[in-house]
Amino acid sequence: MSEAAKEIDPVTLEIVRGKLLAAVDEMGIVIARTSMSPVIYEVLDFACGILDTKAQLIVQTNGITLFTGTFSFQLRAILKKFGGEMRPGDVYMINDPYEGGTHTCDMALIRPLFDGGELRAFAIAVAHWSEVGGSVAGSIAPNATEIYQEGIRFPGVRVCRDDELVADIIDLIRENVRLPTMCLGDLNAELAAVRIAEVRFQEIEQKYGNHTVDRTFDYILETSEQLSREAVAAMPDGTYKAEDLIDGDGISDEQIPVCVEVRINGERMTFDFTGTSAQRPGPINCAYGALHSAVKTVFKSLVDPQGASNEGWFRPVEIICPDGTVFTAQKPSPTGWYYEGSAHASELVWKALAEIAPDRFSAGSYMSLCGAYVYGKDPKSGEIFVHIEPAVGGWGATSKRDGTAALIATTDGDTYNYSVELFEAKFPLHIRQYALNTAEGVGEGRYRGGFGAVREFEILADEASTYASFGRTKEPPWGLQGGAEGSCNFMEIESGGETRRVARIPYHALKQGDRVRVITGGGGGYGDAFARPAQEVLEDVRNDYITPQTARDKYGVALTADGAVDAAATQSLRAGR
Amino acid sequence: MGRLASDIGGTFTDLVYFDEASGELKVEKSLTTPKDLTLGVEDTIRLAQVEPEKIDFFVHGGTTVINAITERKGAKTALVTTAGFRDVLEIARGNRPDLYNLNFEKPVPFVPRRLRFEVRERMDAAGNEVEPLTLADLDAVVERCRAENVEAVAIQLLHSYAAPAHEAACAEYLREKLPGVAITASHEITREWREYERANTAVLNAYVQPIVQRYFASLEGSLKGQGLDCPFAAMQSNGGSTSFEWAKAHPITLVESGPSAGVNGAALVGELCGEEDVIYLDIGGTTAKCSVIEGAQVQVTTEYKLEWTRINPGYPVKVPVVDIVEIGTGGGSIAWFDRVGTLKVGPVSAGSDPGPASYGQGGREPTVTDAKLLTGVLDPNYFAGGRITLDVAAAERAMQKVADGLGGTVEEAAVAVLRLADADMINALKLVSIQRGHDPRDFVLVVGGGGGAMHAATLGRELGVREIIIPLYPGYFSAWGMLATEPRRDFVQTALTRADDMTAAGVTELFAGLQAEAEEYFSAQDEVEAGQLNFEFGIDLRYLGQEHSVTVPTALDGLSVGGILHDFHIAHERAYTFRLDDTPVEFVNFRLTATARVPRPEVKPLNGDGRSEAAADKGTRSVHYGEDGRHDARILNRDLLPPGFEAEGPLVVEEPSANIIVHPGQKLRVDELGFLHIS
Repeated sequence: MSEAAKEIDPVTLEIVRGKLLAAVDEMGIVIARTSMSPVIYEVLDFACGILDTKAQLIVQTNGITLFTGTFSFQLRAILKKFGGEMRPGDVYMINDPYEGGTHTCDMALIRPLFDGGELRAFAIAVAHWSEVGGSVAGSIAPNATEIYQEGIRFPGVRVCRDDELVADIIDLIRENVRLPTMCLGDLNAELAAVRIAEVRFQEIEQKYGNHTVDRTFDYILETSEQLSREAVAAMPDGTYKAEDLIDGDGISDEQIPVCVEVRINGERMTFDFTGTSAQRPGPINCAYGALHSAVKTVFKSLVDPQGASNEGWFRPVEIICPDGTVFTAQKPSPTGWYYEGSAHASELVWKALAEIAPDRFSAGSYMSLCGAYVYGKDPKSGEIFVHIEPAVGGWGATSKRDGTAALIATTDGDTYNYSVELFEAKFPLHIRQYALNTAEGVGEGRYRGGFGAVREFEILADEASTYASFGRTKEPPWGLQGGAEGSCNFMEIESGGETRRVARIPYHALKQGDRVRVITGGGGGYGDAFARPAQEVLEDVRNDYITPQTARDKYGVALTADGAVDAAATQSLRAGR
Repeated sequence: MGRLASDIGGTFTDLVYFDEASGELKVEKSLTTPKDLTLGVEDTIRLAQVEPEKIDFFVHGGTTVINAITERKGAKTALVTTAGFRDVLEIARGNRPDLYNLNFEKPVPFVPRRLRFEVRERMDAAGNEVEPLTLADLDAVVERCRAENVEAVAIQLLHSYAAPAHEAACAEYLREKLPGVAITASHEITREWREYERANTAVLNAYVQPIVQRYFASLEGSLKGQGLDCPFAAMQSNGGSTSFEWAKAHPITLVESGPSAGVNGAALVGELCGEEDVIYLDIGGTTAKCSVIEGAQVQVTTEYKLEWTRINPGYPVKVPVVDIVEIGTGGGSIAWFDRVGTLKVGPVSAGSDPGPASYGQGGREPTVTDAKLLTGVLDPNYFAGGRITLDVAAAERAMQKVADGLGGTVEEAAVAVLRLADADMINALKLVSIQRGHDPRDFVLVVGGGGGAMHAATLGRELGVREIIIPLYPGYFSAWGMLATEPRRDFVQTALTRADDMTAAGVTELFAGLQAEAEEYFSAQDEVEAGQLNFEFGIDLRYLGQEHSVTVPTALDGLSVGGILHDFHIAHERAYTFRLDDTPVEFVNFRLTATARVPRPEVKPLNGDGRSEAAADKGTRSVHYGEDGRHDARILNRDLLPPGFEAEGPLVVEEPSANIIVHPGQKLRVDELGFLHIS
């Protein structure tokens, strides 16, 4: 039993915990319902939380996993600057990747929560704004070489005093972004979220009192920590290593070696990224906040995927990585596409531990969000449009079943793809196809990987531009226990009868009738493909997931002319390997 | 003459009969007969000794649709889509709500890939034809469907919400070529955008259609066989009813018919008590459901998702469903400790078999009902009107586990279990009220179901509602609510337009189109006469750039775009704390709710004969009131309480289907209809 529970009755603690969780959930609902950026309301690229005065995360609701470890760092940066002078009605704003953030697009708002005159806690909301200025619309140029090209950066500023917006800051935003209405709409959505947090928090304090709320904070952290330590202790002590290659940084195609050594020792787990490549000129880098999120995401999935996130879970975790690597980049490295880098940090940990946690982890996945921006001028309205959406792809097979098809990557979460019908009503683009990517296939195995997806756009505007950054374009998703590797992601641009295959591409001009295809890969397989029952292989053929040729070549299953399993031929194929 | 409502639940089939001449209400219960559900309906009619020739209206609700889906016992179904999009049903929205689970499985689509076919055609978002329909592509589909013995086909083509011509042509073609196969075109069910959601809706409609057709045919035969000769109505999920004929073609609209009847009943209770704003709560064995009625209007949404949980995306069904929040805490919910010794209640439930420990049917786990017994709220000798004797010793044994874990007495353990269960329910009630911009102080709480009555006083006080109302026969509330049902259909049309481009004439024209559809629909419903129709209009609006919209009620008289925008800014601010006066606004969906005014049962005042305070008095009992501690409570028999009776808590009011507690400091009043009011 936790220390807090010895003092205050545990039922009250549990009830207050439920109310705090309901408060952050409500913050999330407010943001999703009122923001202006599709990337927030469809992708749910946001998170909300309540932290104590020591900057410890108490409760959090996330739309995606990328914000699992960033809040404490950001609040500490604000406290360092404004610690003594905060008062009720203040709201602070920060989007600096080098102060615990991710990339400049992710704008965090922090509101100190007071009860009477006393500072009691903080509410934080972070959301991805579609535009924060910089060298390209959407603000994350794939070929940026300095963070100065990635838009306006707020190192921690006061955006509200006495619940009134600071006019200078608003002017600064309005004049430095391409879509000011959308940005200020998102700012309003976040402000509404932290405001509602204060209302709910004060209601809780009034009903239960400061002391009970403090003890509930302790109780939340202590119980999670205990669960986490027990889970780690149950894992075999040892050293687990993994290596991977990042396919280029946006400036060059050169593969970037990254590695991890995970050490489990009793109740502690150390993640050591020493040996990972130095930071790169291009925006694939991430700073320490993003690295923490990446590791903690996979750690959480290992110890207790469904428990509500808070600082307590991560107390047994130590993360080691020297400054200046691609995972701990230093100012002024660009970090626009940081999630393409940090996704590798997650996958490294996952890959290292996959063998000891077969119930938790699958084989390798398509991993990259395969973000492709398309922007230009809408011929109907004359207004600028910017489209960005993460792509779904194939996940790896597990020890018990085939991989999941067309699912959003680890870095995201409750993220929705964009409805074709909404999309076509909103953008001067036409979607010609949205289908499973059966052509490139998946990793075969006793259980096969899940299929990626193909999404094909046609440009209806007179002119438009695209830029994109796709990972896993050379280094495919890994197989497990003898399962085959999956397939790679890529983008195709079809223009004037010519088709180009690209991966990380800076500005590229498009014209009416050009087609852009976002193609994601299939996940890795698990176990020996020849051990897959012939009937399951036949089902895949009947569903057009695989061809009879693949059945024969990869699975050793022969079919008769009328589409049944040819048992004798299958036996000889499988024996003759 | 009389009206008869029949509601099939998981355990019981309920019947409520209302004699229009005497105002008398008759209730009857019988065990549900899963193998042939019509038998349970027949049983209740027989038991209630209703004269069939006196029945001039029959309304029915049940679980046929939801059970066929939950148990995956629907028809073999195929899907036809626009070329290039057959995988949309499997890709779904690609979301992973269980975001730290790296072993996540998506819901499996109801149509396998080999039965998902494509047809060449294309419409755009403005409803223009981009590529003509190649009907000949369907010939191969027909052949495959015959070879595979497909029983139902759904059709979903892109932008059919705006331009249904291609979809309609496909449906006509397939109906001709595949006689006996149930065909559903998505626009026949919903005219809202989002292709995955519409596809899934059409697929599920097709999936249950053959089953529902058979079921209603058999029920019709059985009712006629018993001599019923009146219009037969099916309870829909939108709080209204429709004919059996229409329900057979649109069965997915029945998916939540039972809960919607309860909400409908709560609206009627509000109306009878002169209350327009009602929070409704129904606590069953495994879950609690709540909903808000605002301005006497049942809130209906098309955002419903089957099998949705916080970690499961579920299956979206875009038909109008009463807006209900459901949580996994009910009377049978089991109390347990997690790995670090935290006490939790639910979502695992003891259900009805074995049921709570105190039922004495072998249940060993401590449940909410056991806690109610151990705190004195339930009388072990007067449960279900004395038909079941509760086993106090068994409840104590079960609750001892909780007491050991908490290091206290059995009574303290029971109080702890109730506090946790109540806290879960409060969070759900807040979700439908405060979090949607309502102030509970403006509302009354109406409870249905026996469980709801038991928790009502505690929850109502914490929520801060003005008054708590417990209607007659809370244990038959869904069937009672059906009696008051009116024929209803909701129409939605997506028509994205910027406010600058919208005129009052444009709005009027769009609504006129929906109104014409409604009139056509009702002209085919035989119990409805023209001229009785009632129309409610609403528009979904949003700020340019937003995705989600806010529904603003509107009226055709004196309609102006400026007035609509004015209302929208206010509604947005109320829901989300801010407004953006300088941001352009978009019109998204146009909504029409059409109801037919039919004669409704007139609830007569309670007959006071034989009722008196003295007759109702059952002495006192020691009851634990949670945060208020233990008190000697006065016990009253509800069936003998006279109209106009008033008393102060601590009280327990007992009736066969429910026990109602009144906290110290709360006041009880019995109104002339027999409803209890606690304030």
